[in-house]
Amino acid sequence: MRSLLDFLKGKWLGHPLHPILAHVPMAMWPGALIFDLLSQCQIGGNAMVRLSFYAIIFGLAAALVAAPTGLVDWSGIKKEKPAWKIGLYHMSLNLIVTLLFGVNLALRWQTFREASEVDRIPLLLSAVGTLILIISAYLGGRMVYEYGISVARMSKKKWRKLAAAGGANLPPE
Amino acid sequence: MLKNLLEGKPLRHPIHPMLVHFPIGFLVVSFLLDLVSLGFPEVPNLVRCSFYAMLFGVVTALLAAVPGFVDYSDIRRDHAGKATATRHMTLNLMVVAIYGINLWLRSSALTDFKISLVPLLLSLIGIVLLSASGYLGGRLVYDEGIAVGRHKRKTPTPQDTLHLSTETAAKAGEAIFVSVPNAEHLRNGETLRVEIERQAMTIARIDNQLYGFQEFCTHRFGPLSEGSFHGFNVQCPWHNSCFDVRTGKVTNGPAKVDLKIFKIETRAGKVGVLLTKAHDQKT
Repeated sequence: MRSLLDFLKGKWLGHPLHPILAHVPMAMWPGALIFDLLSQCQIGGNAMVRLSFYAIIFGLAAALVAAPTGLVDWSGIKKEKPAWKIGLYHMSLNLIVTLLFGVNLALRWQTFREASEVDRIPLLLSAVGTLILIISAYLGGRMVYEYGISVARMSKKKWRKLAAAGGANLPPE
Repeated sequence: MLKNLLEGKPLRHPIHPMLVHFPIGFLVVSFLLDLVSLGFPEVPNLVRCSFYAMLFGVVTALLAAVPGFVDYSDIRRDHAGKATATRHMTLNLMVVAIYGINLWLRSSALTDFKISLVPLLLSLIGIVLLSASGYLGGRLVYDEGIAVGRHKRKTPTPQDTLHLSTETAAKAGEAIFVSVPNAEHLRNGETLRVEIERQAMTIARIDNQLYGFQEFCTHRFGPLSEGSFHGFNVQCPWHNSCFDVRTGKVTNGPAKVDLKIFKIETRAGKVGVLLTKAHDQKT
């Protein structure tokens, strides 16, 4: 159990896993929206419709893998910290976005092989999903850049050494 | 002003790590679509899809490069992470060049059903280099703390460490006075990062007074010379620990241990740090 948690936290890689995996849905789903819009403008034809479809699938696959790693990172934050609440919003929004793109994918399943443009409802779902995703991703970034979540978690020993060499007062190990 | 914008200060979030999602995601997907085209050549349009994904990836990579250069130039020259940042940038430039050639090779064969060998190999090399580079970029944030909490700081951060020696310093009894000429030019909210005989410290001007305190936060050793100031408190950019610069006392966690402080004095018209024997010990 312990080793599974460490694995999900990315200790074996020396880098938290969640922000690595999050790149894929974060790129794919706004990308799908762009491809939908391009196909509506009669650019790319069926290739664009397919590309959008594949982008949604790749995004979903990565989102499902990214979810447990995010959950583990979040569970390491103390409940009284402001980052805990932001993490909760981040997670809730991500669940909504994933559901939206799941429905979106299902709606395209019958038509993506032939269609030369994306229908209105899937396009709308892509737009709403992307909007919520951007808010959610921003919150995720704030957890790192405002509250330092996962920052210096794995490099603590290195920094301790540098601080000791710089004559600093240190906390007990 | 433009620099602040490209560093994402108005958004309170750096821009470069926001944009890099797109090249990473799309260049990887382009490669996956290539592989699918090898396995399922009967599926139409895969080669064209892959080309569009790659084009989108390269365009967004060029966009991400702009704030990336700004972030890079703002890392202190002797920062432990500077070499990693240089490698990250070099790899990215190589990746963009490889994908530029790749796009050019593909542009004349968009109607193929299967991707041909040379563009596929170029993509493979590109993905390997991109993964390495992305990993280094992540290490810059999660290990080196680059851009973490940077938006909280209103003034520029030190570009270099000032190394001073006690050899030419005036000995005043037990204490040693080391003059720090640059300290006089500091404006309110600005800092110097100074090292004197293995003592790393921040010298900051607050409310027209100079204060000296240890450079490393006592929580996870974040750089206080890049911290922000709230009254007489310095806030660590990483996890927001606060210390009173006059006493070194913790005023807000997560840090629990107080900072070592250094007395700043003016002697014979020169501003400097007064080092005592006590500074060699941990307090």
